[in-house]
Amino acid sequence: MLVLAVSAPNGQTDLAAGRVTGRVKLTTKIPGKPLPSTAYPRRTIGDHHPSALPEIRNVVVYIKDALHKGPLPTSRNELLQEHETFIPRTLAITRGSVVSFPNGDPFFHNVFSLSRAGNFNLGRYQRGQTREREFTKAGIVKVYCDIHSHMSATILVFDHPYFTIPDLEGAFELPALPTGEYTIVGWHERVGERSMRIRVEAERPTSVELVVPVPVGDEYE
Amino acid sequence: MKTLTVAFVTVAALLGVVFIVVILSMRNQVRDAVVSNLESTQRLFAAVETRRQQDVRSRAETLADNPTLKAALDTYQSEVQDDATASRADLLETIDLVLENVAARVDSDAIVLVDLHHIALGAAGPMANRWPRSRPVSLVANRTAAGPSGADSFDGVARMGDNLFRVVTVPLLLGDTLIGGLYVATSLDQDYAQELDQLARTRIAIVSDGLVVATTLSPRAALQFESAVAVTQPVDGVIPLDGESHAFRRLVAVGNTVFYALGSVDESSRQAMRDAMRNLALIGMFGISLAGVGSFWLAQTLSDPIKRLSTSLATMAASHDVSSRLPLTGSSLELDTLTETFNALMASVGEAEAETQAAYTGAIRALATALDARDPYTAGHSDRVSVLAVAICRQLNLPAGEIEVVRLGALLHDIGKIGVPDDVLRKPGALSAAEFDIIKQHPTVGARMLRSVPFLSPHIPIVELHHERPDGGGYPNGLRGDDIPLGARIVHVADAYDAMTSARAYRNARPPAEALQELWRCAGTGFHAEIVAALANALPGVTSEPPQGGASRG
Repeated sequence: MLVLAVSAPNGQTDLAAGRVTGRVKLTTKIPGKPLPSTAYPRRTIGDHHPSALPEIRNVVVYIKDALHKGPLPTSRNELLQEHETFIPRTLAITRGSVVSFPNGDPFFHNVFSLSRAGNFNLGRYQRGQTREREFTKAGIVKVYCDIHSHMSATILVFDHPYFTIPDLEGAFELPALPTGEYTIVGWHERVGERSMRIRVEAERPTSVELVVPVPVGDEYE
Repeated sequence: MKTLTVAFVTVAALLGVVFIVVILSMRNQVRDAVVSNLESTQRLFAAVETRRQQDVRSRAETLADNPTLKAALDTYQSEVQDDATASRADLLETIDLVLENVAARVDSDAIVLVDLHHIALGAAGPMANRWPRSRPVSLVANRTAAGPSGADSFDGVARMGDNLFRVVTVPLLLGDTLIGGLYVATSLDQDYAQELDQLARTRIAIVSDGLVVATTLSPRAALQFESAVAVTQPVDGVIPLDGESHAFRRLVAVGNTVFYALGSVDESSRQAMRDAMRNLALIGMFGISLAGVGSFWLAQTLSDPIKRLSTSLATMAASHDVSSRLPLTGSSLELDTLTETFNALMASVGEAEAETQAAYTGAIRALATALDARDPYTAGHSDRVSVLAVAICRQLNLPAGEIEVVRLGALLHDIGKIGVPDDVLRKPGALSAAEFDIIKQHPTVGARMLRSVPFLSPHIPIVELHHERPDGGGYPNGLRGDDIPLGARIVHVADAYDAMTSARAYRNARPPAEALQELWRCAGTGFHAEIVAALANALPGVTSEPPQGGASRG
């Protein structure tokens, strides 16, 4: 689970800082031209165990062009492998944070990644065991299981703390930002970035509404 | 020979009729057969092709369910906005490696990985180079085949450069999410057409966008087919290609691409015709040889015996021989019955003939007797001459047939005297020259009489020439020596002997020995010596030696 360990700038600091709050709205509209869907039954076996978390919890809101000076807070996180899925599917961490991958299924799992930001393979291990890894490069790290080809998760590694995952209603609040103009992004693994420009002011919080056209569940078909 | 000809002509006519009927019916039958063959080819092809596509797909799906491939594709797409080309090159290399693996396990011309926008990210297989990276693939698919069972909805045709590919699409899913697709591509080229041709045993033409892209037809036929069919793309039909009638049928249509199976009606009918002709020729040869054997047998059992019979009949007819009998041939019951009937008929004809002859002979004999009776002195003369002549014949060992001729001839020898008036014939004294001339006409008159009765013709020489003398002093022709027929010589001697031994009005009868003496005296001049000798031998109790030197003349 994501543990936000940011300095809460509620009081006035040396630098002028502003709050950014908002709401993420998921739509089911699909841009682009998809492939024809399959008429054959899927060969995966994890269909009947959908992710425990609603789709909104797979969205990450972050400031794209934020600069951060000074030491970056780190955290310890967990990406559970259960019912042949990664839980959660999406994780957002600061650079230098550690993620552990415990196996909660009664069979072997594996974790590997081909991503530039974290190319690794943790090998296969059985239930109850765990492996962990420190992510030292910012970027998108896609992790997969080498045994179950339908399993995937995404870890977003940031070199700043200005990111969050909305609550079940889609509401979010970013850590206080230095005033200025920014690009705020709503990201989803299937959609990529949906961004807009915002202006962060010290006097009043900036309210943002992000629309992310994520196909939900079977509606994709 | 005639029988053989008839048999041959019959067989030939029969074969001709059969041939025409066969020709007429065969073309239609062959055409129907070709069409139905194409239909079954189509069904078979559809079934096999569906099955094959499913096999390919299921295999490709298994191979596509590859964590590394999916991870590489997914990661590649997640980093597509980054400009870190090195990392992406690594991913593409990973993709290529996995694809090579898949290609080695699936029988296809190319295995292609495409992203969600149908852009090729990698390809492997023999024709991978037709699928360059980053090139969008335009897949023409059947949109009509709907429903979950419509496996064809995934089938598409893609043109990459000069090559047309048939594509089976396998979706790549990551959980619920579609991340790309795997294309299993089969090149629709000449090799493919050849393969289909051999499988279906029909000509194949693959038509796409109005052009024949691959075919096993001849180039000329392909061009004609293209102009006739490619645009309208009918389901089936019959068209002339390169001078031959072809039936064609659409095997399967994918988008704008249609697979056609074609069969030449003419080619098939030629084959069938050849078979039929061979069979007919065999039947014909068999029939002709059967006819040959049959006619030979017929000739043996019917024609030849009939010919023999007719020859015998002709001989019999020519010789007026009604007495001889036809031999039984034994070749067939009918023929033998016929022969027997004929023989029976001939027997009765013979009897009738004999009766007729007897009647004739009796009549003539009665005439001769009557003639003899005109003069009491000559009564019984003809009978006696006949007996004497037969006796002479016996002495000369003549065959029975000739003796018979002589016997009747002797009986009739003076028949011509019917034309001699009584006063001349019965004149007691010497005859005048004119009277003797009348007498001398009687052989000629007798011969003329006999000529009117055909069966008496053998006796004519006897009647006509029984007054000729070896020295040529006789009448009517004055023949000499050997020119006088034997029968006439015999009757001449017998006649003279009987005349001498019979009484006449002007003289008494001479004794036999004296008469014989007289004959001997004239042997060689008036009579033939050997006949006189035969008479001498024939007369019992009359011993008369020929005078010295008399017998040597003859």
